[in-house]
Formats: sequence, structure tokens, C-alpha cells
Amino acid sequence: MNGSSADSVLLRASGVTKRFPGVVANDNITLDVRRARVHCLLGENGAGKSTLADLFYGVHEPDEGVIELRGEPIHMVSPRDAIAAGIGMVRQHFELVTPMSVLENVVIGTRGEAKVDLRAARDRLRELCDLYGVEVDLDTPVGDLAVGQQQWVEILKALYLGCEVLILDEPTAVLTPEGIERLFATLRRMASEGLTIVLITHKLHEVMEISDDVTVLRRGRVVRTSLTSEVTMADLTRMMVGRDVDLAIDVAETPRGDLVLDVSGLDVATESGRGSLKQVSLRVHEREILGIAGVSGNGQDALFDVLVGMRSADSGRIVVDARDVAELSPAGRLDIGIASVPADRIHQGLMMDFRISENLILGRQRSERFGRRGWLNQKGIGEFADDSFAAFEIAAPSPAHVTRVLSGGNLQKIVMARELAGQPRLLVVHQPTRGLDIGATEYVRRRLVEERDRGAAILLISEDLDELLNLSSRIAVMFDGRIVGEVDRRDATIDRIGLWMAGVSDTPGEALA
Amino acid sequence: MNTDVPTTPGPSSGSLLRRSGWRLEKRLEVKPWHEVVTLVGAFIVGLAICSILIAASDKSVVDSYRALFDGAFGSRRAVYETLVQATPLIFTGLAAAFAFRARVWNIGGEGQFFAGAMGAFFVSNLWHAHLPRGVMVPVLFIAAAAAGALWASIAGLLKARYDTNEIITTVMLNFIILLILSYLLGDLWRSPDTFYFQTVTLPESAHLPLIVDGTRLHWGFGIAVAMAVVVHVVLRRTALGYEVRGVGINRTAGSYKGISVPRVTVLVMAISGALAGLAGAAEFSGIHHRLQLDISNNFGFVGIIIALIGRLHPAGVVVSAIAFGALVNGAVTMQIQTGIPAALVDVIQGLSLIFVLSGAVAVRYRLQRTHTDE
Ligand SMILES: Nc1ncnc2c1ncn2[C@@H]1O[C@H](COP(=O)(O)OP(=O)(O)OP(=O)(O)O)[C@@H](O)[C@H]1O
Ligand SMILES: [Mg+2]
Repeated sequence: MNGSSADSVLLRASGVTKRFPGVVANDNITLDVRRARVHCLLGENGAGKSTLADLFYGVHEPDEGVIELRGEPIHMVSPRDAIAAGIGMVRQHFELVTPMSVLENVVIGTRGEAKVDLRAARDRLRELCDLYGVEVDLDTPVGDLAVGQQQWVEILKALYLGCEVLILDEPTAVLTPEGIERLFATLRRMASEGLTIVLITHKLHEVMEISDDVTVLRRGRVVRTSLTSEVTMADLTRMMVGRDVDLAIDVAETPRGDLVLDVSGLDVATESGRGSLKQVSLRVHEREILGIAGVSGNGQDALFDVLVGMRSADSGRIVVDARDVAELSPAGRLDIGIASVPADRIHQGLMMDFRISENLILGRQRSERFGRRGWLNQKGIGEFADDSFAAFEIAAPSPAHVTRVLSGGNLQKIVMARELAGQPRLLVVHQPTRGLDIGATEYVRRRLVEERDRGAAILLISEDLDELLNLSSRIAVMFDGRIVGEVDRRDATIDRIGLWMAGVSDTPGEALA
Repeated sequence: MNTDVPTTPGPSSGSLLRRSGWRLEKRLEVKPWHEVVTLVGAFIVGLAICSILIAASDKSVVDSYRALFDGAFGSRRAVYETLVQATPLIFTGLAAAFAFRARVWNIGGEGQFFAGAMGAFFVSNLWHAHLPRGVMVPVLFIAAAAAGALWASIAGLLKARYDTNEIITTVMLNFIILLILSYLLGDLWRSPDTFYFQTVTLPESAHLPLIVDGTRLHWGFGIAVAMAVVVHVVLRRTALGYEVRGVGINRTAGSYKGISVPRVTVLVMAISGALAGLAGAAEFSGIHHRLQLDISNNFGFVGIIIALIGRLHPAGVVVSAIAFGALVNGAVTMQIQTGIPAALVDVIQGLSLIFVLSGAVAVRYRLQRTHTDE
């Protein structure tokens, strides 16, 4: 390619094409990843980023073209070959054995030896943790860790296996702002020590902040590879979406209506004690979005679960439209108009082996629209699927396809399409735009505001401060299971919220924990 | 079943394959015809391996399999008899398949079969003098379904209420019902004119009518096939079937979206038990016409194998039940003509199961020529 830099090229895709039934996920892609640099892949949902990463990692083999490492073509039949060649990857959906400990999960990836020296492994891992500033208890079962922490386990795994190139597929989607800071600091350190990083993200400011090179993909093709220093965010947006997008959407103030959700004095204990709720009280009215900010693991999951009926409270009251809903099952809560979008869409929101059209009606399979006296209304289901495909621009060959084939962002679109369609009275959304490209993010945010204007009460749990500041009428901050502060949007500043999120109360110097 | 093939350590397709210029690739979609090929292939491989056993005992493989085939399909009579053998297996296969779809592991088909037969006997004993045939037979089947459902519900309720492992409870219930039955056959229900542990013979008016006169092929077969259609329609077209499949795929997501997993579990157990119970009624009123301890040829257990081989699909269940009916039926002829023990059939069954299950994983991959680069 580029004569001068050719020798610094570590990993190259050369004319690579990968087809899936009904789509060309990667279409004649040529791309150079240079040594000891951070290279971002950018593109809309379904543009083919994960597919390209999977080709680098030996999950798929290209139909045409070759992958080259250090100037030599390599053939990988499985990730094992990639690992052996020094390529590591943290995939978009983790592959961890949740009942096993961190240490065991890392060691499980090593092969060939009949016996594993656990002590040596532990020492080596400690070293890696120290070197890169990773804080994770090696003996905790992975299932007990927050997603952000699980991701560190995946990274450790790749490092432990001795990778020279580390591919990360949307790592920041599951991280808090601080977590992202830490990750980026680590990535920079890695790059300075000679490691090569390929990073997939939808956040443009992250691209600008961390990367040296950036490649934009669109519908499976490379639009352009540039030096990050030579492009602007607006350039990238245009390359990616083909138009300008402004994520800060115009949210006019509306007078709020009647009280819908009234939570008072809620206590919820969790098995591990982590992420429990302590005396949580909050209120959401009609035509109002209450934002819940906070670092993940501070009780957001418990709050979500207790509101949708998957967990019961130890004390306190949850009242919806003047009715105590404590005794209502999740089904009962759906019936009174509570819709919800869980953060963990794959485990809590979707049936991966269902057809896409079937997932779009999950929870409403007995509603009038989609059924009658226990029979499913195929026509209604089909029409709704077509509508959702159009509205959310879902990239899939057809609604009859199995959900598993969708790209990460398109999975999220399915959940959003489903939950927004039921005209909910109360909408509890947890990380609604996680993993969405900017076009889809804009659309979902606009739809949330539309729902609000229709009269819904919305509880928006998010780690994205921009999103919260943009959409919320009020913002409450959770720390260690408590609401430590609440502020009107007009008075909210990132600094103030950031302090609350860190557990610092308004009185200077006093810690809340 | 949804055996997730992990992609990280990856399939050990290895370098041998690569050197030969082929590679294994994960298939994105498993089409119905892939499943059919696996199923048929598994049977053929099972038969092929058994031919080694036959050859080892110095018998002619060709003659043996010809006898087997003749016995199963060689004449009209043989075909009818094959279907007779298949009938209870279709019911018990559907019973297992339906439960397994929801990942409810009902291993109690055998006990539910007996519960069904006992329910049928009970009502026939009570009412046969009063009800005409057109009414008696349906009543008998309803009673059998109810009894099977009830018996299975014990395990279903325990599971739903206390999260008791249903594999253990259903197996225990198998033992319990057999003990109850032997007690009844030795006492209350024993026919006064015999020493054997058996009931009085069912009056003609309670016999299942025959599909073909002069054979043993009774309408139980028709009902079984009809039930396969019903099960398919329920799974695909009803909200209940949607929930059953959903619970089988992802319980957590199901619960979040309002599906009551305990409720579905109880219902699934009951329906599964009802289907197994119908098998009991069909054998009782279609073949044996009285109750005794040996009216089941392990139908409940074989049903599990049938369900797995049929890939938990009703059509697959019907096909594999007929195939097994044919094996059982043909084996008798084979034994008579060649002296090879009919027990060979069990070996074929077992082998086929193993191949279908490994086929279920294999079918997710396809072999592709790697492009030449050297
Ligand atoms: N296993 C698969 N089978 C069939 N189609 C697939 C499969 N994996 C991906 N696709 C399709 O290929 C296209 C590209 O998917 P890919 O996962 O690479 O997108 P992506 O750029 O990572 O998107 P996202 O930002 O949403 O994660 C999509 O249309 C997707 O539906
Ligand atoms: Mg992706």
C-alpha cells in the first residue's frame, strides 16, 4: 500500500469479503492496522465491524481475500489459531463461564498442558493487573461481577494468552465514564509498550480521544481510513451516516402531569450485598423524564428489577397511579402499562433463538393486537414486524430470520421497538442507547421524548451523562444504593453530578458512604 | 436442542482438515432439510455399525437386513404391524418432545403411560355397562389423559413450588405408580377368574375400533398422528406454545416479560403427562383390552429417545417412531429367519441416538473447500 509505512503494518485485511445469507457483511475490505497504534473502526449498526473483527480473530474465514499478519497471509480456522498467532479479542458479547472464578476463566483459555499451575497463573495475573492498573478479585465468581468488571476479565484473558494485537468490540458500551477513562489510560499504556489496539465504538468523541487511525465502514465497505488528527467529528458522521446528525436533540419543556410512579423508602437487599437499595424514594410524573445517574453497580439493577417485579422489596412502597403494585407479578405490571428495557438485553430482554418477529411481541403475545383467545395473530405480528423494521431501520434480511444473526445494535433496536410500541404508562429504561450508532441513538432519544409528550412517565437509568442532561426533566444520582442528590435539569451541571456520583455530598469534604 | 457451541476455544477442526484443503465453518442457519439428513443419516450409520456385529456372528448382513426390512415393510400386514408398534411411541415421543421444548425434563413417561391406562380401566370398569361404544371410547381416552396429566402434575407442582428436580421426581413417580398398580392388580382390580395379575377383559364396546379389519391396526394410530399435528399447531400458533418455546430458550427473559415460568412448567408437565397417558389408553383399549403389568414395552423411556432423535419436532417424532416401530417389528422376522437376537434393535436404537445427538452439533457446521493460496 502506503510505501513509507508498509513495514509498520502489523495486521492487514486485503480485499476481504464475507457473506451471510442475505447480506454481504464485509465487501472487499482492505485495511492496514499499524503496529503500536490505536485503530478505531466506526460505522452504523450492521455496517460489518464485528464481522471484520471476527475475521481477524478466526471466528469466520473470509469468503474472498486474505488476512495478513506481519506481511504473511495467515489462515485461521478458529480463534485458537488467532490466539496462537498473537491476536486477542474481547467480543461484543462476552464468553465467560459465569460460575467459575476470574482466575479459572483466564486459565481455561490456555491449552495444551495437562496440568495448569494455578499458583504461577495467579502470580502472572497479579503482575498483569499491577502493570495495567486493573482492579479485580481473582477468586470472585465471574457471574457476581458487574459487566464492566467482566470485561476486564476478558481483557486479562487476552493479555494472559500473550496477544500482540488486542481487538475490542464496543468495550465502552458497558463502562462508566470513569471506567472508560481507566480503559483508555490502559490502552494508551499498552500502545506505548508496543501493543496494537483495534477498537470498535460508536462514540465519536472516544474515537477522537483515543485513536491514531480511524476507518469508517458503511454497508460492509470501507469508506475511508484516515489519521484521526486529520478528520473532525462532523466528517466522521457524514462518512458514516451520509448526513449530519445532532445528538443533542431539542427537548422543549412541557408542564408535567399527574403523579404516576411514587416510590418511597425502598429497601432491597441483594445476596452479595453489592448493589442493594437503601431507603430509595423517587417520583415520576406524566410527561416527565426522571434521569437516574450513577456508576453502575450502585443499585441500578436492583432498582430496575424491583420496579418491573422481578425482585421484591424488603420494605417501602411502590405506587403506580395510586395503586400499590408490590404484590403484582411482572405480568401484572405489564398489564397496568409498565414497559421496560433491561440493560442486559441478551439475557433479560431477548430470546436469541426466536424469530425476530416473535421477539418483537415478547410480553404482548396475549394482547389483543397479537392474539385472540390464546391464538397468535400471524398477520398482526407480521405487520408489526414490518413497521418496526421500517421505523428503526433494522438491518436484517427479514423478520422471519432467527434473532441470533442480528448485529449488537440491531438487537437493541428490537428491544426498543417492542417496548416503545405498547403506549406505556410508565417506561423504565436502562441504558436505552447502549450499542446504538448515532443515527439510531438520535432516533431512540427522539422517540423517548415523543413518548414523554404523549403522556408517559419515564424513568431513564443511564451512565451516559450527555444523554441524561439532554433528555431528563430532573436528574437523581444513585450512590451505594441511595439517592444522594436530585436536581432540576436547569440547575444540573456535569461537575455537581459527577461529585454526587463519586459519593461526595454537597457539603464539601463530607463523604456519603 | 439449543446446544450452544462456544466459539472461543473453537471447534477442534485442526490442521489435518486444513492440509486437506477443507475447513469447517459454522453454519449460520440450520435448515429443515439439514435436520432430515441428520436423522436419516443417523439411522443408516446405526444400521451400518450393527452390520459389523452381524458379520462378526457369521451371519449374512444382506440376508439379515432383508429379513428385517421384509418384516417391517415387506407386506401390507407388515406395514400395519409396524404402525401398531409405532403408535404408543408417537404418543410418548410427543410427550417427551413437548416437555423438552420448555426444558422441562419429564422422564416419567413410563409412569404416566400406566397412569393413563389405569384411568382408562377405571372409567371403563365403572361405566361400560351404561355407555354405548361411541361414547365409551372417547370417555376412556379423556380419563387416560386426565390421569396422565394428574400424575405428571405432581412433579410439575413440586418443581414450580419448591424447585424440586423434575428428573428425580418423575423417575420416582414411575416406580410408585407401578407399585400401586401391582397392588391393585393383586387385590381390588384382579380378575376373579385368574391367578395372574390382570384385570377382567374389556368388553367389546370399549375397544378402539380398527382402521383395517382383520389386522391389529386400531384408531390409536390415527389419534396419535392427529396429536402430532395438534402439538405442532399449539407450539407454533398459540400463545401457550410461544411461551413454552420461550421458557425453553431463555427463562430469565421470559420472566422479565411476564411469562410465569412456574405456571408454564406445571402446564407443560400436565400436557406432557396427558400425551403419555393417551398412549396407555391406546394400548389398553386398542391392543391388550385388559390391564396387566407388561402392557408397556418401555414405551415411556423409548419415547424420550424418539423425541431426541426426532429433534423435538412433532413430525420428527412421528417419523422416528415409525422407524422404530419398523425396527421392532422387523427384528422379530429377522430373529426367526436368521437367528439374530431381536435385542440387536436396542443396539441400533442406542447407536442412532448417539449419532443424531452428535449430528445435532455437526449440522451446525459445514465443510468448505478453502481457496487455494499455495
Ligand atoms: N452469524 C450471522 N449470520 C447472519 N448474518 C449475520 C451474522 N453475523 C452478522 N450478520 C449480519 O451481518 C451484518 C453485519 O453485522 P455486524 O455484526 O458485523 O455489524 P456491526 O457493524 O458490528 O454492528 P453493531 O454496531 O450493531 O454491532 C448485519 O447485517 C448482520 O445481521
Ligand atoms: Mg457489532
